[in-house]
Amino acid sequence: MASRTSKTFLSLGRINIPLLGFNKSSGKVKYATALSINSSSGNKGLPDRGGRGSFVRRPRREAGEPRTGKMPVDQDWTAVYPAAAPFRPGSIPLPVRMGYPVKGGIPPEKKGNLELIKIPNFLHLTPAAIKKHCEALKPFCTEWPSALETDTKCDEHFPIKLESKEYVSAGPSLRNPSARIVHLRVKLSSLNLDDHARKKMIKLIGERYCKNTDVLTIKTDSCPLRQQNYDYAMYLLTVLYHESWKTEVWEAEKTVADMEDYSWEDSPSQKNILDVLLRMKVAGEGDGEEVRQQLLGRKDVQDYKDSVTRLKNEGESESSMLQYKEAVKKVFNM
Amino acid sequence: MAASLSSLGNVRVLSALAWSSSLCSFSGSRGLHVTVSCCKNRAARIRVGKGDKPVTYEQAHHPHHIGHRKGWLSQHTSNLKGEDGAAERTVEDVFIRRFMFGTFHGCLANEIVIKRRGNLLNVCAVMLQKLPPQKFYFLIGYTESLLSHFYKCPVKLEIQTLQDKIVYKYL
Repeated sequence: MASRTSKTFLSLGRINIPLLGFNKSSGKVKYATALSINSSSGNKGLPDRGGRGSFVRRPRREAGEPRTGKMPVDQDWTAVYPAAAPFRPGSIPLPVRMGYPVKGGIPPEKKGNLELIKIPNFLHLTPAAIKKHCEALKPFCTEWPSALETDTKCDEHFPIKLESKEYVSAGPSLRNPSARIVHLRVKLSSLNLDDHARKKMIKLIGERYCKNTDVLTIKTDSCPLRQQNYDYAMYLLTVLYHESWKTEVWEAEKTVADMEDYSWEDSPSQKNILDVLLRMKVAGEGDGEEVRQQLLGRKDVQDYKDSVTRLKNEGESESSMLQYKEAVKKVFNM
Repeated sequence: MAASLSSLGNVRVLSALAWSSSLCSFSGSRGLHVTVSCCKNRAARIRVGKGDKPVTYEQAHHPHHIGHRKGWLSQHTSNLKGEDGAAERTVEDVFIRRFMFGTFHGCLANEIVIKRRGNLLNVCAVMLQKLPPQKFYFLIGYTESLLSHFYKCPVKLEIQTLQDKIVYKYL
């Protein structure tokens, strides 16, 4: 480039001096020769990258043999695939074929095979690689505390269990609105409740109580952040506990329909059985309070009471019906 | 898809009409839905010709073979049940494919495979050795940095090169 410009300057210099004295025709001739010099010099040495005229292409280097030919059998594979990466046919010394074969043919080979690139591969997770990962993570691990060996011990020391979910997805954003939900689980037996408090607590929590496992589950998702939902759940637990210990004035108006369990005393069943027994009894005993009390004290009447209570509380089943049958038979001396 | 078939000269009528129940004695409404004709039996198919047209594995298999003989070109978690963001990922994919097609013009041997691993966007492509390696390196760096800035997530390009396109069969 620099030599070209210098040559033009020289030619111009030569032209300028004669133009002062000579006529224009000689000047034109000089211009023409200057141009020809420039074009000839352009062809010799420098390759013109612009592409104008004839351009010299740099000799193309042939691609060498792929790495698969030079891999020793006992190489460290974790160095070839240290992290998750797509399938590279030049790095994997296996004659893998993938794809639907042409009629009368075989599946296409691995070179340029898009199907092998599409699928996820686990070449970076060989057992040797996983061992290396574990060795690297071991210094950061601590022992499980020896005082928490069994599940019951864990329940005893940590009765409140909290559950929340983390979400990982493919995309530029970390946020997932479902990650704010918090579940708080606690066994009512681990709380300090007396009979009235327990009944009131069960009435207050309603559907959140599972009778079989005696577990209260509080699910909070009304706040936008998980920390807020956790605080709200703990607040709810505290409030429930304190409220169930209080006795309000209007709780004295609790009727039989509000009772959770069936109690046999002063129930129609008790009245009925006593009436029947009195009528069955030899006439002359009379009807009085002491007679009723005496009848209640009898063992078969107690068994009848147990069977009826069990039927009403637990519902009907084979064993409870059998028990009721036996009790009735005993009472009527059948 | 539907927009690209506009060259076939289809009528664009998109209307949903609903009559109120005041006219008919029964309570109910009717709707008429008309869309652009989809030509599902002509999409992504190269028609059988004289036998001189070289065709890759991807082009030779029709869309109903996806899941049976072909894999998926783009993989991410947004298409699972209960996950959101599917539309945004699809738009990103379409843009990335057009961008790669234009940047490496004439060099692509096959379709582009896009994988998403968490935040990372992994674009895998098979190219022909048409450009000198220095130009390839420049274009790869240019694409990676431009797309990372555009999508605000790390973008990695995994390129493999071939001498020529791999021909599956001749149609």
